[in-house]
Amino acid sequence: MANFLLRRLAMMILTMLCASFLVFAICEFTPGSVARKSLGPFATQQQVDLLTEKLKANDPLLVRYGRWLGVLVGAIPDPLQDPATGLNFKDPRGAQYFGNFGYSTLNKLPVNDVIWDRLGNTAILAGLAFLLIVPLSIIFGVLSGLKEGGVLDRTLSVICITFTSIPEFASGVFLVTLFVILWPILPGTSPLNSDGGWAVPYQFVLPVAVLVIYDFGYVARMIRVSMIGVMERPYIRTAILKGMSTRRMVLSHALRNAMIAPFTVLLLQINFLISGVVVTELVFAYPGFGRLILEASLFGDMATLEAATLITVAVAVVTQLLGDLGYMLLDPRIRVR
Amino acid sequence: MDKTQHTYIPTLVDEMSSGAIGRRDFLRKATLLGLSAAAAYSMAGVAMPGVGVQAEDMPKGGNLRIGMRCMEIKDPHLADFAEKSNVIRQVCEYLTFTDRNNITHPYLLEKWEASDDLKTWTLHIRKDVKWRKGGRPLTADDVVWNLKRVSDPNVGSSVLGLFTGYLVQEYETGEKDEKGNTKKSSKLWADNAIEKVDDYTVRLNCFAPQIAVPEHLYHYPMFILDPADNGAFGPDANGTGPFEMTEYTVGKGAKYKARTDYWGTGPYLDTFEYVDLGDNPGAGIAAMASKQVDGLSEADAVQINSMKNFPHVAVYQVETTQTVVARMHPDTEQFKDKRVRQAMRYAIDRDKVIQTALLGAGAPAEDHHVAPSHPEYAALPKYPRDIEKAKKLLADAGYPDGFEFDMVTRPDPIWELNTAQVLAQQFADIGVKINIKALPSAQYWEVWTTAPFSLTAWGHRPLAIMTLSLAYRSNAAWNESNYSNPDFDKLLTEAEGILDPNERSKVMAKIEAIMQEDGPIVQPFWRVFSTVMDKKVKGFELHPSQYIFAHQYAISA
Repeated sequence: MANFLLRRLAMMILTMLCASFLVFAICEFTPGSVARKSLGPFATQQQVDLLTEKLKANDPLLVRYGRWLGVLVGAIPDPLQDPATGLNFKDPRGAQYFGNFGYSTLNKLPVNDVIWDRLGNTAILAGLAFLLIVPLSIIFGVLSGLKEGGVLDRTLSVICITFTSIPEFASGVFLVTLFVILWPILPGTSPLNSDGGWAVPYQFVLPVAVLVIYDFGYVARMIRVSMIGVMERPYIRTAILKGMSTRRMVLSHALRNAMIAPFTVLLLQINFLISGVVVTELVFAYPGFGRLILEASLFGDMATLEAATLITVAVAVVTQLLGDLGYMLLDPRIRVR
Repeated sequence: MDKTQHTYIPTLVDEMSSGAIGRRDFLRKATLLGLSAAAAYSMAGVAMPGVGVQAEDMPKGGNLRIGMRCMEIKDPHLADFAEKSNVIRQVCEYLTFTDRNNITHPYLLEKWEASDDLKTWTLHIRKDVKWRKGGRPLTADDVVWNLKRVSDPNVGSSVLGLFTGYLVQEYETGEKDEKGNTKKSSKLWADNAIEKVDDYTVRLNCFAPQIAVPEHLYHYPMFILDPADNGAFGPDANGTGPFEMTEYTVGKGAKYKARTDYWGTGPYLDTFEYVDLGDNPGAGIAAMASKQVDGLSEADAVQINSMKNFPHVAVYQVETTQTVVARMHPDTEQFKDKRVRQAMRYAIDRDKVIQTALLGAGAPAEDHHVAPSHPEYAALPKYPRDIEKAKKLLADAGYPDGFEFDMVTRPDPIWELNTAQVLAQQFADIGVKINIKALPSAQYWEVWTTAPFSLTAWGHRPLAIMTLSLAYRSNAAWNESNYSNPDFDKLLTEAEGILDPNERSKVMAKIEAIMQEDGPIVQPFWRVFSTVMDKKVKGFELHPSQYIFAHQYAISA
C-alpha cells in the first residue's frame, strides 16, 4: 500500500511538472512581457526595457522555467521582489521560501495572498453544490434505472436531459429574472459581504442552484445506465424472484455495484466544480477561483496561472487517487498488490 | 477692484458684454486666471451651480454603496484609470476642481494668481486644511513635495506629460539604446521652477506661458499626498480628504469611514463603500435590482435600457469629450498617403455608428479631436459620408480596388467592439476590408501605441489642447498614431499661449483643418456618459470624468 501511494505521489509530481511547463510554454505565445504588465499600460518603452533587462526576461524558455521552479521550492528569491527593480513589490513571507508562487502582475500582490481566499470561496460554493448533486443524482439515477423505459424513467430522463442542456449563463439569467426581478426574494449578486442588505447564506442560493441544475442530470444519467446494467444481472433476478422487497434489493444488493462506475464520474465533478465554475462566478460576481483563472489568463498573469494550474492538477490527481481507493472499497476484487 | 486680479479680466468682461465671448467662456477664463468662482458667476450675471441645495437640507448618516471595479493601487500619482482615482479621491484631494460644466475652482487652494505673461503662477493654499493623522495643517512644503514628485521621471506619473513644455524640459542623457538612438529623459527646467514662497504659498515659475495650469492640477493622478507616506497607498494612508479608508481588497471592494474634522462641507454619510461586481454587465443590473448597491460608477446604454423601468432607479447622463478614435500609423505602406486617410474619414456614416454602437447616446465628431464643448472649438464645415469621393481618393492614391488591413481593438467595454464592427462594415463599402483583432484589455494596452491600425478610447479632458498635446504632438509619450507634423506642432504651441478665446479659436480652426486634411484619425462620435443611482441618493451629479465625490452625496431614509 505504501509503495502504491509513493508511486502515485511520484506520478502526481511528474504530472504537475509537465502541466506547469506546458502552461509556461504556452504563455510564451501571448503578446506582452512581464515587464510591461508589471509597469502598466502607460509606462514608456524605456522603463519597460530597463525592467526586462533587470528581470532577465529575455533568457531562453528553459532557463526561465528553471528559475521559476527555483523560486517555487525556495532555492532562489523571486526576482520581481528585488528592490533593484523599483517595483515596490513586497511579500510579508520574504522573497525566498518553499511554496513561493511568485508575484501576480495582475493583482500586484504575492500569488499566495490572492489565490487561497479565492480557492476557499470556490471550495465552499463547489462543496455546497456537490452535497446536493450527490444525493439528487443518485436518487434520480437509481429510480430511472430501476425500470428502464417506464413512465418514471422517461419523466426523470426528460428532466435530467433538459436541465443538463441549459447552459449555466442561460439558467443564471433565467433564475435572476425570476427570483430577483419579478419576485424579489433573493439577491442577484454574491460578493460575499453582508453589507448589501442580504445575509451571506442567501447569496449562495442562486449560484449553487445554477451549478446543481447544470450538473446533476449528467451524473444521474451515468448512474441510470450503470443501474440498468446491474438490474439485468442474475443475482438481482434471483433476489426479485425470492420475493425480496424492492427497497432492500436496491439498498443492499444493487446500489453498491451500480455505484462502481459512476463513482469516478462523481469524483470528476469535483474537478469540474473547482475549475469549471467560471461562468457561474462571472454571472453572480462571485469572488472565486474560476474568475481569478479567467482574469489571469486574459491578462497573461503567468505566476497566478501557474499556481492555479498546479492547484487544479493537484485536485485532479487527488480525486483520482480517492477514486481508486474508493474502487477498492466498493469492489472487493480490486486490491493493491 | 482687487489689485491682485489678473490684468486680462477687465478685457474679458468687456468681451462678454459686447458679446464677443459667451458667458461660459468668460467663466472658464476668468476662473482660470484666478478670479473666484463666486465673483466670476456674479460678474457673468448667472447663478452659481450647486448652491440650490443647502448643506443643512442634506439628510445625515447612513451607508452608500457604489458598484465599481476595484483595481490594484500602489501609488496615487500613478493612477491610470478613473476607477483607481475614485478609490483614492475619497482620502486624498486636489489643489483645484473642474466642475461638470468645465469651470475650474480652487479646492485645496484658496485662490491662485497668474502673471500677465502667464509664466508665473502663485498658488495660495487654504489655511484650514488638516491632515487626518496628527491634525497637522497642509503646508507649502507638502504641496512642493507633491509637485516635484510628479515631475520626477523615475516616479513615472502621467502628470509629467502635462508639465512638459512649461515646467519640465526634455534632455538627452548622452546614453544610447540598443538601436543607437539617444536616450531621453526629463527634469524641471530650473531649480526654482517650483518654489516655496511662504508656509501657505507656492509659486510656479514657467519657461513658457501656459493657460491650463489650474486644469492640469486637476488631472486625475495629481493628488496631494502626505510626504511621510512616500507614495504608498492603502487603508492606512494619510489624507486631507473627507473619508478614512478602512478596508481595500482588489477585486472585492473598498470601505470608508467619514471624518468628523473634515475642513470642507460634508461628508453627510457615516460610511461609504465600493463593491466590485466584476466584468459581467448583468451583475450590475442584478445588484441594482436586489438593492445590493445604491448605484454604479458607470452604466452603458444596454444596462440603462434594462434598468430604467426599475421604480427605485434614477438615470443620469452627461455629455462628455470621451471618444474613440480609429487611428492609422502614417508610416505604414497603406496609410502613408494622406488621401487614403481622408478616404477612411469620408467612408463613415456617423449617425449610423452612434445608433448602432451607442444606441443613440452620442453626438457626431469631426475627426479633429476637438469637441464642441471645448472652449477653443471652432466650427468647420461638416464632414459628410461620401462614398464616391472616398473611392476616388483611394484610386488616386493607388488603391482602386481597396486593400485589406487588421484593426486591433478590445472587446470590453462592449461599445468599443460594436463601434469597431460598424466601422469595419462601413469601410468595406469603399473596398477597404478590415479584419478586427480583438485583444483582452490588458493585452490591448501592450500594443496600443505600436499596432499600425487600432481603435482607442480617450477620456474626457476639459481643454482640447490637453488631448492634442498628449496624443498628436510629435514624439509625445501617448502619441499612439506616430503622427508628426511640424506645422501642427507649431500651431499647437501657439494655441497653448494664447489667452484670448477668440484668437485661440482662430488658431484652433487651422489645427482642426490640418487634422481633417492630413490627420491620422477617424473619429466617429463624442460619447454621452451615463449611470444609475437609487432615487434615495441625494446630491449626486454625474461628472464627465466619471469622478465620484462621496462627501457630496447623502442618503434619504
